[in-house]
Amino acid sequence: MNKALRNPLIYLLFVLPAFILFLAFFIYPIFTAIDNSFTSWNGISKDVQYIGFDNYATAFHDAAFWKSVRNNVYFILFSCLIQVPLIVFFSLLIANVKKLKGLYKTAVFMPSIMSTAVIGILWGFIYNPDFGLANEILGLFGVSPVYWLSDKSWAMISILITNAWQWTGFYIVMVLAAIIAIPRELEEAAAIDGATGFQRAIKITIPLVMPIISVVIMLSIAGAMKAADIVLVMTKGGPAGSTDVMATYMIRYAITSFRHGFGNAIAVLIFVFTIVITVLYQVLISRRTERIEY
Amino acid sequence: MRALKKTIPHIFLMAYLLVILYPFLFVLFSSVKTNNQDIASNPFGLPGSITFDNYVNAWVNAKISTYFFNSLYIGVLSACLSILFAAMLAFAVTRMRYGKISAIVFQLILLGMLIPNNSLLLPIYGMMRKLDILDTHMALILPYVANAIPFSVIILAAFMRSLPGEIEEAAVMDGLGPLRLFVRIIIPLTVPAIVTVFIVNFLGNWNEFLLANYFLSDEELRTLPVGMVGFRDAYNTNYAQMSAGIIFSVLPVMIIYAILQEKIIEGVTAGSVKG
Repeated sequence: MNKALRNPLIYLLFVLPAFILFLAFFIYPIFTAIDNSFTSWNGISKDVQYIGFDNYATAFHDAAFWKSVRNNVYFILFSCLIQVPLIVFFSLLIANVKKLKGLYKTAVFMPSIMSTAVIGILWGFIYNPDFGLANEILGLFGVSPVYWLSDKSWAMISILITNAWQWTGFYIVMVLAAIIAIPRELEEAAAIDGATGFQRAIKITIPLVMPIISVVIMLSIAGAMKAADIVLVMTKGGPAGSTDVMATYMIRYAITSFRHGFGNAIAVLIFVFTIVITVLYQVLISRRTERIEY
Repeated sequence: MRALKKTIPHIFLMAYLLVILYPFLFVLFSSVKTNNQDIASNPFGLPGSITFDNYVNAWVNAKISTYFFNSLYIGVLSACLSILFAAMLAFAVTRMRYGKISAIVFQLILLGMLIPNNSLLLPIYGMMRKLDILDTHMALILPYVANAIPFSVIILAAFMRSLPGEIEEAAVMDGLGPLRLFVRIIIPLTVPAIVTVFIVNFLGNWNEFLLANYFLSDEELRTLPVGMVGFRDAYNTNYAQMSAGIIFSVLPVMIIYAILQEKIIEGVTAGSVKG
C-alpha cells in the first residue's frame, strides 16, 4: 500500500510542473522586483545602475504618489463604511423574504461575473455629461449636469460608485449564504420570546455571521489594493492624477515612461502596504471575532 | 399591517434590482437608437423606430469575433492547464506518502494567495520580454496558468482529502500504480470540484485586463476586454454603436450565467473565501 504510493519519481513528476510555475510567477518576481527597485534601470538597456533607496525616496517625496495612496485608502474606506452596511442590510432583507429570493440573489450577483473593463465602459456611458443616464435622472429633479469623470471633485467618487455597483452583490450572496446556514430554531426561539424582526437581526443574526462579515471586509481591503483596471478604463488616473491608485501610478512610470526601477519600487510598496494592512486588520480586528476555518 | 410589513423589504430589494438592471436596459435601448441625438432626446425608453445597424457596424468595427475567439481559447486553454497541473500537485500532496515535503509545498502555495498580483505585474512583464514572447498569446497563457494554481490547488486538495482512503487501498490491491490511480480513480471522483475550479479560472481569464492590455500590442491578438476598450477609444463619439458593442461582450457571459448560475455562484464565492 504505502510502497505503491511512495514512488519518488512519480511524486516529482506530479509536483514539479505546478510548483515550478508557482516559484517562477510568484516567488521569483518578488525578488526581481525588490532587486530592480534599487536600480535606475529603464527596463530595456543592458547596463543597470544601483542607486540604493533613491527610488523610494523619490516616491515618498512625490505628492502624486501620496495622492495615489490616499485614493487606495478611499477605496478601502468606501468599502468598509458604505458597502459593508449595505451588504448586511440587503442580505438580511433577502434572507427574510419568502418570494423572489432566487431572483434577487441571481440579479444582484450578476455584475460581479462581468469584465471590469466592460463595466467601466458601460458606466462611462452612464456618466456621460450630455446624455448619460446619471445626468438624465438628475435632470428630472432639475439638477444641472455634473461632469462626473472630468471634474476632479467627482471623478473619484464616480469610480467608487461603479466599483461598489459591481461588487456589492457578490458580497451580499456570501453573507446571505451564511445567514441561511444559521439553524432556524435560534430565530424561532427568539420570536417566541417576543423579539421583533429588527431585534433578532441585531442580537442574533448579525453576531452569528460576524465571521463572514469579517471575511468580506478582508476581501474588500484586498480588492481595494488590487483596483487598477476600473481606474484605467474609466479615467486613466485623470483628471490630473486625481483618480490615480498605487497600481496605475506604478504602470504610468514603469511601462509608459520607461522608469522600470522606479516602477518596481512602487510594486514593492504595494506589496508591503497590502501585507501590512492585512496583518494589521487580522491582529487588531479580526482576532476579536471568531476564527474561521479556511 | 402584516401585508405592508411583507411588502416593505420587496420595495427596497426592487429598488436595488432596478439599480443593477436598469444600466443594462439603458445600454440595450441605446443600442437600437440611430445616434447620440436620438439617445439624448429620449434617454429612458425604447425609440420610436428600432434600428439594428449599430450591431452590424459594431461587429465589423469592433472585430468582436476576433477578440471573442482570442478570449475564449486563451481562457479555456489556461484554465484547463492550471487544473491539470493543480490536480497533479493536489493528488501528490494529499494522497501520496510524503507527509513532510507535502506539507511544506502546500503551505508555500497557500502563501501565493496573499501576494498582491499588482506588484508582480512588472517583474512578469520583464520575464515575458526575456523569454521573447511579449506580443504572443503565450505571454498571457503562462501567467494565467500560474496565477490560478494556488486557488485551484487549495480547492482540489480540500476535495481530494475528503475522499475515503479505502478507494485507493482497493485500487492498489487491484494492482494500480499511482499514475493509473490518479487518472482512472481520483480524477473522475473529483469532477464536481474541477467544474467549480474551471468556472472560476475561466471567468478570471476571460475578464482579465491588465496583463492583456500591456503584454499584447498587436490588434489581432487582443482579448475581448482590451478590444472593447480600444473600440470605445476609437468610436467614443458614437454611443449607440458602442452600446451594441457592450451588448455583444456582455451577452455571452449572461447566457452562460443563466444556464450555470448555481454552479457559478457557488464556485466564485467559495474561491474568494478560501483566499
